[in-house]
Amino acid sequence: MNVAVFRSMAPVFPKMASPVRSACCVVLAAVVVVYAQRHSQQDSHVQYERVGADVTMKCGSMDWDAAVTWTANGTDIDESHLNGSYLILKNVGLSQSGQYFCYEGSSWHLKYQTNLRVGTPPKEPVLMCRSNNYPKGFYCSWHLPTPTYIPNFFNISVIHGTKDMVCEKDSPPKNRCHIKYLQLFSTVKYKVTLTVTNALGKNFTTLTFDEFAIVKPDPPESVVAKPVPNNPRRLEVSWQNPSSWPDPESFPLKFFLRYRPLILDQWQHVELSDGTSHTITDAYAGKEYIIQVAAKDSDIGTWSDWSVAVHATPWTEEPKHLTTEAQITETTSVSTSSFMAPPTTKICDKGAMVGSGAMAVCWTAGLVVAAYSVLFI
Amino acid sequence: PDVRADDGDPAGDSWGIFTFLCAALCNLPALPALNCSEELGAGQSIQQTYDLTRYLEHQLRTLAGTYLNYLGPPFNEPDFNPPRMARAERVPSATVDLDLWRGLTDNARLAANYRAYSRLLCYLRVLDGQVGTAELRHRLSHFCASLQGLVLSIGGVMSSLGYPLPAGPVGPPGPPGASAAPNDFLKKMDDFWLLKELQTWLWRSAKDFNRLKKKVPPAVVTLRLEARGF
Repeated sequence: MNVAVFRSMAPVFPKMASPVRSACCVVLAAVVVVYAQRHSQQDSHVQYERVGADVTMKCGSMDWDAAVTWTANGTDIDESHLNGSYLILKNVGLSQSGQYFCYEGSSWHLKYQTNLRVGTPPKEPVLMCRSNNYPKGFYCSWHLPTPTYIPNFFNISVIHGTKDMVCEKDSPPKNRCHIKYLQLFSTVKYKVTLTVTNALGKNFTTLTFDEFAIVKPDPPESVVAKPVPNNPRRLEVSWQNPSSWPDPESFPLKFFLRYRPLILDQWQHVELSDGTSHTITDAYAGKEYIIQVAAKDSDIGTWSDWSVAVHATPWTEEPKHLTTEAQITETTSVSTSSFMAPPTTKICDKGAMVGSGAMAVCWTAGLVVAAYSVLFI
Repeated sequence: PDVRADDGDPAGDSWGIFTFLCAALCNLPALPALNCSEELGAGQSIQQTYDLTRYLEHQLRTLAGTYLNYLGPPFNEPDFNPPRMARAERVPSATVDLDLWRGLTDNARLAANYRAYSRLLCYLRVLDGQVGTAELRHRLSHFCASLQGLVLSIGGVMSSLGYPLPAGPVGPPGPPGASAAPNDFLKKMDDFWLLKELQTWLWRSAKDFNRLKKKVPPAVVTLRLEARGF
């Protein structure tokens, strides 16, 4: 094929000077050869087969009794797999995917090539639709529960009553599309059908829902928890509406706060019908807490996922706390040479106070303990 | 862990404000303008109307479940999604264009709610008269009473804001013959759509009254009451 193309190029430049003509021809030939080679590799015959199937490959137009050699990914294939000039692959597996070439026995001319892709037909896809920006619209996202190992094509259709709506695909994540609501407070359900097709088969799934049923905001953002000075049982928590919620004025959110000390498993809950802050007043003194917030439209839909967890410890009175600790540790530990190290770390960890003040306190405590040990040894 | 040492001291300011509020509230009964328990401010009425729509929406869930079971399949199937037929248009629809809904004046917003629930109440009352089981009759009549309360509540808000109540037919529109369904199945479809529209209206009203809550400031309340000569 390459040679024929090369030959047909010659009459194109009859009037040019010979050396220039030859040079042009050579360059053109090179370009054509490179293009044809690349083209044949990309566009080479692709054969899709199911996992576990029996595959028979014919060597192009060669007769059944012709002498041929098959290779798979560069390795010669044993004659036991051949039936005449046909290649028989039984019960193909994923590892048998690759480039197969068939060469005529004596001349080693390439007679046939194919790209074998072993895969499976698609299983029923998983589809999810959600409105995190009510009342602007909603988005749908999907995926396959198991991989097929071959290329798949997705087609999504949205029907609202008698109207066909267009779901615009998002450019990054391509298995996601979004739709704008044209009307609000609709009594007619939305029907979303996702069809997945590949060379070995197709499958689909459908979701039918009311406008209100799929409303689920994103979790609240910028959750901050702070101790309240001079209040050992309080923690001040504040957060912001999720930025994806377009109109909190007309569509207010309500919130759910949960908190527990790290050492316990039981959560405490508070539901707040408005406002983006809350003060916890029953925290255990000195214990580190984990706090999360969730949001929901005040009237419709479901709760968001929990926000990122925030840690905080209520305020504790440091200096008094440390003196008592130092005295206790001093009396319990008998005069040993390693006396100094353990109490220092104990005192610093106890309050779990983070901040610039804590470091200075640690050092002071260390010095105090050192002083005591000097006095009593 | 990102616990920071506290910078300011807002606690002191909050206490001051709280004390002032206490003093203000304690002195309120002395003010003649607000010393009238019968006349509720528009703000409070809006809140009460909002609460009533939420209560009705909750009641409707049980009522609709029972009623659809009474109608039988396919009406009580969760995926039942019939096309909207022309005759169903008699029931006022809550569906509205987004920008139009946003741009509604307070008067238009309240009037739409008032008209819708008045009509829906009429249709429900007709239903009440036809229903078979005693349990359903009891539930329906209880719901109708609550819905009547909602209509009155909306009317109350409109009056307190100085808006005229929408005039219109109190009974089901058109001659009796025209509104009757030609067959049993279509009659059931009418009932299905009536309940669907009612449910959607209650969801919409929650949003309508949320918007009204934000837009009617307390200052308006005092002004209106003073105008009535208190």
